[in-house]
Amino acid sequence: MKKNKFSFLLLPLVFALLTNPLAAQEDSVVAKELVKLKYFNDNNGVQFLILENSLKTGKKIEPLNNKVFQLYLDSNKTENFIATVTTDKTGKAKSFLPPSLKAAWEASPLHKFIAVATGKEEETAAELEILKSKIKIDTAIEEGTRRITVQVMKYENSEWVPANEVEMKVGIQRMGGILSAGDEETYTTDSSGTVNVELTKDSLPGDEKGNMVLVAKVEDNDQYGNLLVQKTVPWGVALKTDNSFFDQRTLWTTRFRAPVWLLFMAYSITIGVWGTIIYLVLQIIRIKRIGTAAS
Amino acid sequence: MIWTAALILICLIGAYAYYRQLKYGLVVTNMRDYVSWGIYISNFVFFVAISLVGSLITAIFRLANVKWATPLTRIAEIIAVSAIVFASLIIIVDMGRPERMLYLFLHGRIQSPIMWDVIVIGTYFFISLLLLYLPLLPDLKILIQFKEKTSKALNKLYRFQGSFWKGTADQLKISKKSITLLCIVIIPVAFCIHTVTSWLFATTYRPGWDSTNFGAYFISGAFLVGAGGVVVAMYIFRRFYRLEKYITEKHFEKMGRVVVMLALLYLYFNVNEYLVPAFKMKKPEEAHLTQLFTGEFASLFWFAILIGMILPILILLFKKGRRPLPMFIAGMMVVVGAWFKRYLIVTPTLLHPFLPMQDVPESYHHYFPSWEEWAIAMGSMAGVLLVITFFARIYPIIPIQETISEQHEKDEEK
Repeated sequence: MKKNKFSFLLLPLVFALLTNPLAAQEDSVVAKELVKLKYFNDNNGVQFLILENSLKTGKKIEPLNNKVFQLYLDSNKTENFIATVTTDKTGKAKSFLPPSLKAAWEASPLHKFIAVATGKEEETAAELEILKSKIKIDTAIEEGTRRITVQVMKYENSEWVPANEVEMKVGIQRMGGILSAGDEETYTTDSSGTVNVELTKDSLPGDEKGNMVLVAKVEDNDQYGNLLVQKTVPWGVALKTDNSFFDQRTLWTTRFRAPVWLLFMAYSITIGVWGTIIYLVLQIIRIKRIGTAAS
Repeated sequence: MIWTAALILICLIGAYAYYRQLKYGLVVTNMRDYVSWGIYISNFVFFVAISLVGSLITAIFRLANVKWATPLTRIAEIIAVSAIVFASLIIIVDMGRPERMLYLFLHGRIQSPIMWDVIVIGTYFFISLLLLYLPLLPDLKILIQFKEKTSKALNKLYRFQGSFWKGTADQLKISKKSITLLCIVIIPVAFCIHTVTSWLFATTYRPGWDSTNFGAYFISGAFLVGAGGVVVAMYIFRRFYRLEKYITEKHFEKMGRVVVMLALLYLYFNVNEYLVPAFKMKKPEEAHLTQLFTGEFASLFWFAILIGMILPILILLFKKGRRPLPMFIAGMMVVVGAWFKRYLIVTPTLLHPFLPMQDVPESYHHYFPSWEEWAIAMGSMAGVLLVITFFARIYPIIPIQETISEQHEKDEEK
């Protein structure tokens, strides 16, 4: 067989196919499991933890489902046990602080939350240090101006002192999130731990009584975690449900309220066509009578 | 005999599958939350489409004074009647709970296109039945006269249905006037039946259905499949009942021209229906269209376009292609292509909702009919053929009196 002298030209192609650089890079990417703890305190009462577990591969982060963790307060001893949690399909697990740990919580201003993965009890999966704090919201109307005052306090040296430089959102709770009360997106507490915001938005719809919920929210603060406080105020425009369309004749109401034009068209077509059918049946009867008379 | 036995067997299998559906519920089908209109509704649209041929061959041709089509009128009418009966039945099958059909009348809303469809299907059935019956009266007289050639039971049936027909001048006058009136009425009703069927889809804001053109698109497709069905029936009846004298090559030649014109028209509407959205490629339409053009439904889509339109056009454009056998093949292609086309109109759209399918079992993302669905669908088709078969065995499939009169008129003109 005669050898093709140009066959060597195929070699670079074969080489390129066999040595896919992307494939080599993909193999070298190391997957890393991430465990994160978050502390929440809603309205200075409800305290809970959310654990987030995910797998980071390159730039891709995937939530890990059905992973079991034990949560502890300050140290992973049985008496400090908070709860055993299992992550859901979003990679998250939630636990409230049990009443049994009230004394331990009040004993110190600074606390550490510890997460330990089941099967890896000897190592800590995640830690979170939290300084005890509280958040307060107040409102006032001064010469027609509606003001919102939010104060954040931290527990230090056995007393509550103002917490400054705390960034937060202050606004009105809406369906899709928090609508900022003023012109700024976020506000930061001053040396007195206070934020003063003027509600610049008028005529916002409230509930049926005109109530709306004011919110101050601290998110992922390194010292205090996530704090939330809410207050209901009658500053909204009372919502009047418009039920008038129930009485209207529309295409989407019940059959008893069909539009007149539709009824007119439907019935006139039906009567016209069925009238013709009845007329034709009568004609057949006439044909029959003529035939019977002829025989 | 084998033909009838085979049809009865398919019907029985379908009936058993329906029994299973009644016993276990719609869960025996593969229809789920997303694909809630599957093969049953495809079959319904197909039957409604094919039934439109009654208005084309009988009414439109008659009013347009197209004399050559007279021997084909009864074939067209019986196809229309049997198809519309099974269109109604398949809807009841799709409902799952047949006793709830009553609720449609008790609680039906006139605002709903489904209600319009129920009304218009019922109306079309009665008009088609009248259009089948009135021209049959003179033929019944002939059948009664030749009682020695028919059985006693059949003769009794003929007498019951048409013994009063004496062929008097008054009877002829009333009959002729009534048939003309029927032909006038059936055309708008036929247009309504398929336009309303198309509105069942077009009034729903979904990719593939959101079209203002759907009524015309459906009607053109319906005329095509109906004409294709008539061509197939013409060939079979001509061959097995030896009707070469009445269904001549000239009939095939003319029907060939009709079919090719309708196929071109339907192809034109198809280009409109797919090219315009594909040109814009709006995001929600994209998934649907790419699935049709190159995705999961591509083979079926191109099969329906090629077999249902392009190949029949190529065959029938040429004089040799308009001879009986090639016409029969082209007619079969049109009918088969049309069935798959209805499936493609109904199902792929349902698999592409505007909101993403989330947190649902994998099976919800796809649809392929279960054996029960296939059996019921095939059973309904066999049912249509069975009605036509029984009709052709009891009544003359060629209108005897009308064809003779036409022949006489033609001879006198010469």
